[in-house]
Amino acid sequence: MEFNVKVRRHDPSANGKSPTQTYTIDIEEDATVLDALMRIREEQDSTLAFRGSCRSGFCGDCSMRLGGKNKIACRTTMAQVVKGDEVTVDPIRMIKVAKDMMFDVEDMVYAKYEAVEPWVEPAQPLPEREHKVSNEVIKDLRKVMSCTMCWLCDEGCTTMLVDRKFLGPAALTKAYRVVADPRDSRTNERLHNLSDAKGVWDCCHCFEATEHCPKGIDPTERIFAIRDRAMKVGAGNYRVRGHYKSFMASVKKAGWVDETRLAIDTEGGFTHFLAQIKQIPLGLKALKRGKMPRPYFLHPKRPGADKIKNIFRKVEAKK
Amino acid sequence: MPEHDVLVVGGGFSGMRAAIAAKAAGVDAALVSKVYPLRSHSSGAHSGINAALSDGDSWQAHAEDTVKAGDYLNDQDAVEVLCKEGIDDVIQLEHFGAIFSRDGQGKIDVMSFPGSSKARTCYVGDSAGHIILQVLYEQLLKHRIQTYNEWFVTSLLVDDGTCRGVMAQDLASGALVPLYAKAVILAGGGIGRMYQPSTSAFGATADAAALAYRAGAPLMDMEMVQYHPTTLQSKGLVVTEAARGHGARLVNSAGEAFMSSLAPETGDMAPRDLCSRAIAAEIEAGRGEQGCVFLDFQHLDGALIDDLLPETQLLVKSMTGVNLQKQLVPVRPAMHRPIGGIQVDLQGAVPAVAGLFAAGECACPGVNGANRLGGNTLLESAVFGRRAGEAAAAHAKSASANRSPGSLAGDEEKRLQDLGARTGGEDSIGSVRGELAAAMHEKVGLSRDGAGLQQALDKINQLKDRYQRVSIAATGGPYNPSLSALLELGNMLDTAQVIAASVLARQESRGAHYRTDFPERDDDNWLQHTLATCSPEGPALAYKPVTITQWQPQRRAY
Repeated sequence: MEFNVKVRRHDPSANGKSPTQTYTIDIEEDATVLDALMRIREEQDSTLAFRGSCRSGFCGDCSMRLGGKNKIACRTTMAQVVKGDEVTVDPIRMIKVAKDMMFDVEDMVYAKYEAVEPWVEPAQPLPEREHKVSNEVIKDLRKVMSCTMCWLCDEGCTTMLVDRKFLGPAALTKAYRVVADPRDSRTNERLHNLSDAKGVWDCCHCFEATEHCPKGIDPTERIFAIRDRAMKVGAGNYRVRGHYKSFMASVKKAGWVDETRLAIDTEGGFTHFLAQIKQIPLGLKALKRGKMPRPYFLHPKRPGADKIKNIFRKVEAKK
Repeated sequence: MPEHDVLVVGGGFSGMRAAIAAKAAGVDAALVSKVYPLRSHSSGAHSGINAALSDGDSWQAHAEDTVKAGDYLNDQDAVEVLCKEGIDDVIQLEHFGAIFSRDGQGKIDVMSFPGSSKARTCYVGDSAGHIILQVLYEQLLKHRIQTYNEWFVTSLLVDDGTCRGVMAQDLASGALVPLYAKAVILAGGGIGRMYQPSTSAFGATADAAALAYRAGAPLMDMEMVQYHPTTLQSKGLVVTEAARGHGARLVNSAGEAFMSSLAPETGDMAPRDLCSRAIAAEIEAGRGEQGCVFLDFQHLDGALIDDLLPETQLLVKSMTGVNLQKQLVPVRPAMHRPIGGIQVDLQGAVPAVAGLFAAGECACPGVNGANRLGGNTLLESAVFGRRAGEAAAAHAKSASANRSPGSLAGDEEKRLQDLGARTGGEDSIGSVRGELAAAMHEKVGLSRDGAGLQQALDKINQLKDRYQRVSIAATGGPYNPSLSALLELGNMLDTAQVIAASVLARQESRGAHYRTDFPERDDDNWLQHTLATCSPEGPALAYKPVTITQWQPQRRAY
C-alpha cells in the first residue's frame, strides 16, 4: 500500500523550527513503522535521523510518537497508526530533541539511571559458587529487568512535567531491581537515598508510567514497593513518615482519609507546635474558600467505609 | 586529543565484558559504540548460556558436544578453554548480579537445548541476553568506564603494523575525532544486514570484520554462515530454540513431525545446521505453506509457556497476531550469525596487527568450527571477551608511550570528506544493499553451488563498482547518519566478497556450509581453516590446519 509518512524534522541549525516533511513510500501494511523509516533513509533521504536497532522490541531504542501516540516503532505496524493514507511520526515530548527523532538522552536518561547506582554489591567474601536465591525472587527481578529502557514511562510521568529533576519511573524501576535483589548488601543505604528529595516520595501516583509501559512492568507499583520497604527501615524524613502513617491509620480506622489530621501529621503532629502554627494561614485560606475539610468527628459516615476497613482486616490476617 | 590505554569498539556483551576486564586489570579502558548501551544485539540472544554446572555434567562432555556440532572444524584447544573456564565465567556473571532461573534448591537451573547431549543451558525465562547485557552495563557504571556513545568508527589507525587507535565520527556533532589507544579491542558484532532475511539488528553491518580486514588481518572461516532454523516469516525475527528445548515441535503443512526422520536420535533437538536444512527441504518438497513450516506449542502447558517463554509469546503475538497456545506459528530459517570472523589467538590477539584484539561475534578463536552450538555464543562472549580485555590490558602496560601516528588521522579525514563530495550516481544505499542481501541469501545461503557462487561473486563486484557512485547529501552536521550508513555499506560489500570467495573455494560440505555440488564432508582435503587476506586483487585465500586435542573426527549423526 502507498503511505504518506509525515515526519517532524527538527533542525538544530534552523532557529529551533521543526517543519514536517512528507515521504511517499510503497510498503506492506504489516510492515513496522521502523522498517518504513529505514527504507526512507536508505532510499530517499540519507539525512533522516532516528534511533532503531533490534527490530524486535527487545532493545528499547526506537521510542517515538506515531499517529500521536507514544510507541515502540518496531512493534507498531503501519496499519495500526495510519489515518487515511497518512502516518505521522514525531519525537517524544519529555526530553529535549536534538534532531528529527533524536532526543538528548544523557541528562534526562542515562544520568538518572547512573544516579541510583544500579549495580548489585554482594556481601564479601563471595560464595565459592552462585548465591542461593529462590526462583520466586528471580521471577520478580526478571519482570523488572525485562525493562528495555525505552523511557515511555518517563514520557508519561506527570511529576516530570513540572520537575525535570525527579528521578522518574524508569530510574526508580531500576532502583527497585537492586533494592529487591536479596544478594545486595546496600539495601538500607539505598532506601534512605531513594527517600531523599527527587526520589520515590515525589511520585504523584497518577499511574501514567504503568499505563505507558509496553512490557507490563508496572513502574508505579515498583515505586510503591520501594516506599513500603523504606517505611519499614525508617527511611524518609518525618514529614513523609507522618503522612504515610496518618494516611494508613485514618483509612484503616474510618474507611476514609481524615484530611485535616493528615495535614497536621504530615507536619510532624501536635508536638511540632511551630510547624502547626505555620499552617494556620493556609487553613484560613481554605476555610474562606470553603475547602477546609470537616474534622473527623463531624464527618458523615461514608457508604462502603466498612468494606474498606474489611480490606485492611483481610490483608492483615493474611500477613 | 582523547587517549586511552585500552579502547573497546562495540558495546555489546563481548565489548562490555572486555572493558570491565581491562579496567579491573588496572588500566584506563574506554568503550566506543555506534549505539547507546543496551541497544546492542546481544539482547537478541534469548536462549541462554551453556556451562557444565550440574552434577553429572563435565566440561569434557560440553566440549565434545561443541566439537560434534562444529563438524570437527573447531580448534579443540580453544574449545577446551571455552568449556573449562566458562564455568567460572558464568559464576562470575552471577556474582556481578546476573539473575538466572533457579532450581528447587535455589541453585542455577539448566535446561535442555538443541545440539546438547545434556541439560546445560543456564537461562532466565527467554531473555538471558537482554538481562546479562543489563548486568554488564551496571558493572560498566560501577567501574566508571568512559563510553563514547553513538560514535561510529570509520577506520583503524595502523602505523607500521601496530594499531594506534581509531578514527571515529561523533554522530551527535558530526565531528571526526581520532581516539588513540595502546590497545584496541574490536567487539563490533555481526554481519546480518547483508542477508535478507536475517535475524540481526540494523547495526550488524560487518564493521569490525571489515576494519580488521582492511588493516591487514585475515578473516577466518567466513564461509561458515549460520542460519537460525525458526524465525518469523515476515521479518526474520528469532523464535528461540528454547521453544524446542521446552518441547515445541516442528511440523509440516500435513501436521507431520518431520525432524525424527532426519535426526532419528534427537529429532527436534538436532543442531541448527541440520534443522535449518531439514526445514528448507520440507518447504522445497511442497510440504510447507507460504514458504514456512510450523512450530507447534499447542500440546504444551499454558502456564509453562507463560513462565518460560513470555517474551517469545509476546513477540509472536505482536508481530504475527498468532496466539501460540492455540495456533501454529509459521517459521522458516533466516541468516543468523557468522561463525567465522577475525582470526585471533586464545588471548583474543590478532596476530597480524600488534595492539589489536577482537572478541565475540566478529572474532574467530576457532571455538565454533563449522556450526555453532546454540547457547555457546554468550559463553564465548563471557570467556573470550574477558580474555581479550585482560590481554589488551597487559599489552597496554608493556607498550611504550604512544608514538605520534603522524599523518594517519589527517589522511583518513580527507578520505571521508571526499566521500561527501561524490555526485551523480543513480543508486541509493538501499538499492545496493537490497540487491546484495537478496544475492547473499539466494546464492550464499543455506545451500550453495559453484555456478551460483560465481554469479554471486560477479554480482558483488558489480555492486562494489556501483557503490563507488552512491552519493550522499553531506558527511557532517549534527546527527547526520549519511556517512556512517555509506561506510556500513562498504563494510558489508568487502566482507560479502570474502564470504563468497571462501565459500566458492571450499569444495566440500561441512556444518553450516552445504554445497549441492560437493555434498560430502572431505577430511582428507578440507579439515582446515580458511584464511582470507585483503589484497589489491580481492581476497587472497590461504589455509591452516585444525587443532585437534582429544576428539578425533567421526561421522556426524544425530
